[in-house]
Amino acid sequence: MEDKFDCIVIGGGVAGLAAAMTLAKNNMKFLLIERGEFAGSKNVSGGVLWGSDLHKLVPNYWEDENGGWERFINHRRLTFMDEQSTFSLDFKSSHFEEKPYSGVVVLRSKFDNWLSSKVQEAIDASDYAMDSFIATDIKVDEVIMENDKAVGIRTGEDEFHADSVIIAEGVNNLLTRQVGLQDKYVPADHMLTGVKEIIRFDQKVLEDRFQLDGLSGMSNEFVGWATNGIEGGGFLYTNRDTISLGLVLGLKDLREKKQKPYDVLNHFKKHPTIANAIKGGEVVEYSAHVVSSGDSRVMPKELYKDGILLVGEAANLLMNAGKAIQGMDYAMRSGILAAETIVKAKEKGDYSSATLKEYRRVMDESYIMKDIKGFQDAVHLLHTDTMQNKVPNLVCDFGRQFFTIKNEPTPKSEKMLLGAIKRHSSLWELAKLGFKARKSL
Amino acid sequence: MKLLSLPERLGLVSYRNQAKSEIKPHIIVDTDICNSGCPHKCTTWVCPANCYTMDDEGLVHFQVEDCIECGTCMYACDQGAVDWNYPDPEIGRGVTWNFG
Repeated sequence: MEDKFDCIVIGGGVAGLAAAMTLAKNNMKFLLIERGEFAGSKNVSGGVLWGSDLHKLVPNYWEDENGGWERFINHRRLTFMDEQSTFSLDFKSSHFEEKPYSGVVVLRSKFDNWLSSKVQEAIDASDYAMDSFIATDIKVDEVIMENDKAVGIRTGEDEFHADSVIIAEGVNNLLTRQVGLQDKYVPADHMLTGVKEIIRFDQKVLEDRFQLDGLSGMSNEFVGWATNGIEGGGFLYTNRDTISLGLVLGLKDLREKKQKPYDVLNHFKKHPTIANAIKGGEVVEYSAHVVSSGDSRVMPKELYKDGILLVGEAANLLMNAGKAIQGMDYAMRSGILAAETIVKAKEKGDYSSATLKEYRRVMDESYIMKDIKGFQDAVHLLHTDTMQNKVPNLVCDFGRQFFTIKNEPTPKSEKMLLGAIKRHSSLWELAKLGFKARKSL
Repeated sequence: MKLLSLPERLGLVSYRNQAKSEIKPHIIVDTDICNSGCPHKCTTWVCPANCYTMDDEGLVHFQVEDCIECGTCMYACDQGAVDWNYPDPEIGRGVTWNFG
């Protein structure tokens, strides 16, 4: 491994592996460095990989039923929750069965490891079968800079040299900070922490309980009582014979309201709807990870500099604007676009900013930056007290009245709704919310 | 379904280099900073593995052994008390997720 590489990719997560796959397919000589025992061993997500980019990297990946994915989403549910009730928007459709799927649930320790094996296959089929590597159990200590240009990496006493470095280290972006693309300290105000349990069932029980057919799956997000007043939300995703159940919680709010994430997770599990959903299951793993909110105020100032490109959560590329929690799809697309930029840089023989700024342009033109820019107001709106607490309470209150049949005259629905609005909010507040929502969503 | 305590949950985590008697801590916390004027002691609330604890007198203590490398404290501490790094694969602690 003494020769210089075209590119060193730091991190074997979704972003790094997508970059590596693209480099391999374009006959580039690269080194991917992962600090865990294997790609995925350090990685945690909710997690649904939305979109269909996986098909670009591994064509017809669904034909391998023992591939790294768990289930494809054909059933989506958004649930408002108060202490007693859940009121859901529920959408199930056979159009989701069309391939390529538009979302698959994954468990990262398995998925990333599988994707890494596919990258190795692509390396083996490339011109650099003997010269490109996936190296595990190595922690990168430093990106080596010469005249403010990246020329390689250092790990302990060892150095590896390359024309370019793709930083795919994830949200704990120490190297991104070292090279000056992110501030040394990023405030907690717009960061959250995710806590999750993997709960195992007999597969038949799981499939019957969630009405799964073959490898179909469900994604369910929760807002309201789930987080016990803390900014954030909950999620439940179906895997093969387990579910991923968890919460994403704002750091600032946990601090100010003096709550601990694992206690809030137990609070969520006590809700009657959740208790029914997880009855008889066995917790087989507890995990956690800090996560970005999609607030562009914490994102790195730039995505490139001489010899360096930033991808995935290293660049805080993650967003929940109310429709879905998107992060892994951003990671995958940004990894692909970064690698394509490196391929062009090699053709030109110029890895300086003059070439790498092309990555910024294609990112700005991609759905990632268009959505992150276009939905900032929605991100802010979702994190207001009105959306986090008042609306879920109001919706559930209305639901209780609407669905409860008594042996007495039934008020008109509008009267029920007005009553619920008055108890939890006001017409004026909702009018303002509706106005903002119409513009932001 | 029985709710799990945090120690029961952490008992499900596969830590690396568990057999080694001496590990090199990957996070160094200067608790003197925590205990001399930090207005919020944020880490003691947000850490998902309860590595940061507050005693009856309000003093912050830190242990690295249960750390699951989530990075929450790196963002939570705005006082400069947390020197955060990734664990060394050979002599550090940290995790290997079975599911992730």
